[in-house]
Amino acid sequence: MLDQFLLGLSVVLQPDVLIYAFFGVFIGQLIGVLPGVGAITAISLLLPVTFYLDATTSMILLAGIYYGSQYGGSIASILLNLPGTPSSVVTCLEGYPLAQSNRAGLALFVAAFSSFLGGMVGVSILVLAAIPMTVIALKFGAPEYAMLVILGLLAASMIGTGSQIRSFAMVALGIALGLVGADATTGYYRFVAMPELADGISLVSLAMGLFGVSEVIRNASQRAAVDAPALSIRMRDVFPTRAQARSLVFPIMRGSSIGSFFGALPGTGAAIASFMAYAVERRFSGTPAKFGKGHLPGLAAPESANNAASQTGFIPTLTLGVPGDAVMALIIGALILNGIIPGPRLMVDQPELFWGVIASFFVGNIILLMINIPLIKLWVLLLRIPYQKLYPVIVVMICVGVYSHRTSVTDVILTLVFGILGYVMKNYRFEPAPVLLGFVLGPLLEDNFRRTMLLYGGDFTIFLTRPISAVLVTCSGVLIVIGIWSSLNARRIAARS
Amino acid sequence: MLRKLLTSLPLVAALAVPAAAQDFPDRALRIVHGFGAGGNADTVSRIMAEEMSRTLGQPMVVESRPGAGGTVASGYVSKEAPDGYTMQLMVGGHAVAAALYKELPYESVEGFTFISTLGQFPFMVAARAGEYASMEALVEAAKAAPGSIKIGHSGVGSTQHLTGELLALRTGAEFLHIPYKGGAAASTALMGGEVDVVIDTGTVIRPQADAGVYDILAITSGERWPDAPDVPTVAETVSPGFDVVSWTGIGMPAGVPDEIAGTIRVAVHDALAVPAVSEKIASLGAKPSPSSGEEMTALIEGQVAVWKDVIESAGIEKR
Repeated sequence: MLDQFLLGLSVVLQPDVLIYAFFGVFIGQLIGVLPGVGAITAISLLLPVTFYLDATTSMILLAGIYYGSQYGGSIASILLNLPGTPSSVVTCLEGYPLAQSNRAGLALFVAAFSSFLGGMVGVSILVLAAIPMTVIALKFGAPEYAMLVILGLLAASMIGTGSQIRSFAMVALGIALGLVGADATTGYYRFVAMPELADGISLVSLAMGLFGVSEVIRNASQRAAVDAPALSIRMRDVFPTRAQARSLVFPIMRGSSIGSFFGALPGTGAAIASFMAYAVERRFSGTPAKFGKGHLPGLAAPESANNAASQTGFIPTLTLGVPGDAVMALIIGALILNGIIPGPRLMVDQPELFWGVIASFFVGNIILLMINIPLIKLWVLLLRIPYQKLYPVIVVMICVGVYSHRTSVTDVILTLVFGILGYVMKNYRFEPAPVLLGFVLGPLLEDNFRRTMLLYGGDFTIFLTRPISAVLVTCSGVLIVIGIWSSLNARRIAARS
Repeated sequence: MLRKLLTSLPLVAALAVPAAAQDFPDRALRIVHGFGAGGNADTVSRIMAEEMSRTLGQPMVVESRPGAGGTVASGYVSKEAPDGYTMQLMVGGHAVAAALYKELPYESVEGFTFISTLGQFPFMVAARAGEYASMEALVEAAKAAPGSIKIGHSGVGSTQHLTGELLALRTGAEFLHIPYKGGAAASTALMGGEVDVVIDTGTVIRPQADAGVYDILAITSGERWPDAPDVPTVAETVSPGFDVVSWTGIGMPAGVPDEIAGTIRVAVHDALAVPAVSEKIASLGAKPSPSSGEEMTALIEGQVAVWKDVIESAGIEKR
């Protein structure tokens, strides 16, 4: 294993390859910062460039954009409450309150460093356990996915800082929004009021609307808060104290493990990983009340999870030649145009490519950390721009970003509608994060549940007779019991005092 | 003498055609497609645009108008001016949509001037290695236990799905058709043992077959495919006359003058003759296949009829 990894390092440390690795993560980072412009847009724009590069270099470049954008996504989430992907929604929950309480630098540092550690854990898993992870991933069929999503939804219902009922209501709203479009099992059009909605509501426009635009409206409506906050950007305030650092060790370890595992599951992984990591931290924290107000472990765990997931997400792509998501499909497309058909034989037939790409992840994560730490000061300065100048620019950028995804004007209009909805929701203390989770997980649950029913002739016991599914059902049961128990307990304590 | 004749030829040709066609094209052209940026349709469009802009001497812009299985783009292009400056990169889904949708904002055949197909590709019937000895064995097993053999496909109403339904109709075997989100997900399900068969393109099936994970039981084209000459066809094994290929091609709004359509057709055929272009199209699993407008029209008309029949008989919900 080590020999092969060294072979990979020898490929990636060639100066010209290294430049493309740097270029990739740097562009990814920038793209990630821009609200709404995702890795898909960036990769499809750069695809023609790869016609002129060899396969290994193209893949290193494109993969760099992908995981680089994960780093960048946290920056916009922390500073401006603008999540570009479902996984960075969780980053907003703790990151944005930190930024608002004048600790943006610290939040960015913790995010970058936990991302780095998570990424490194992910790469290590990729090097050491790609094949066993593939075997496990293949054991996940429709029943397992359905139960995994239920577990995710349950865990997420603990995310809201307000009442459970409110957060359930928001998950339900998200699921309802996720129903729009063609039904995957029959092809029937549901709630398709206009042809542009046939493919459903765009996740980007929902996230940008509920988080970004609503925040802009809220700030615009509070005249008093218009002055930019006085900022300290001393480098000393950027680093966590020793005690803070110590409190992050276990969250990062837990987050990285959760992320590494979920990332390897094709299709579902990354989105669930950071939500799960956050929910786990909250559940096992001694001080759950601190969450939602800028609690560092709540930032570190999901950050390490989503970066670990974005690395192990390459497992099905590299070992099976099966793309786990749309971005991976594009990367595979680039390989095919280079005359290399990725498949189970890639590791044997193209060891330089296979191990070179993996080694580039290792190098890329180090580069990302090196770019990120010095840039923190610069990013924090962004907050010094008066809101009345910053926000119009952000709104324009959101519109461009949303439009770039599907070249659809309808999406842009919907973003503004969701912005108003998000503003109203905030005023009535409904949180946007559960909406997004319901939106992502609801269709996955329906799709896999109905596929299970189709596959096994409507037999419900299948969820209990398949071992992995049974374990997941048990975990969900335990979560429910803990939830009921702790709320009863809280009531008893409240009654006593 | 000969030289003199040759130099005068273009002059004669120029005098023979109307002024509009003579100047065509005198500004940028657009090639519209109905799928996401970076997908196969986008890639083929860009490859063609690059080569054709060279021969036509004008820039060519690729425009993605995704949505509703490509019908958003078709609706858009059919209403554009038939002046030759707007064309569409179409895929086999154009014929499927004509059969699948209750109503479309365009006429699938009459609404277009078809220029030429670019590439044609068959589907492959694949199972896990060693599972079925042959295509005949698969169909026999399906007949012995109706509905027990599961075919994973890339989505309800996809050409892959309809091909599986057509196989069932023609052979009288009953399968359980299971929808997935895309060919990659269906292929993963086949590897994991959730389904028994997947029918999809060579880009999905070939790498697994080359690695010995899958057996390719049969190919859906009427004749054996030059790329895989050892693989028998569905027609020669279980269903005589079975012939399904999907395709990519270029269409324009109805009513484009013949001279202009001809100019574009020549540019398309010239581009396909460039090795770099045909190699890229082949790497995406297709056989480069320049055609006349009539051939492309006949191909689409034939497919619309077949898919209408399949959707009717299989009871697939129309949209």
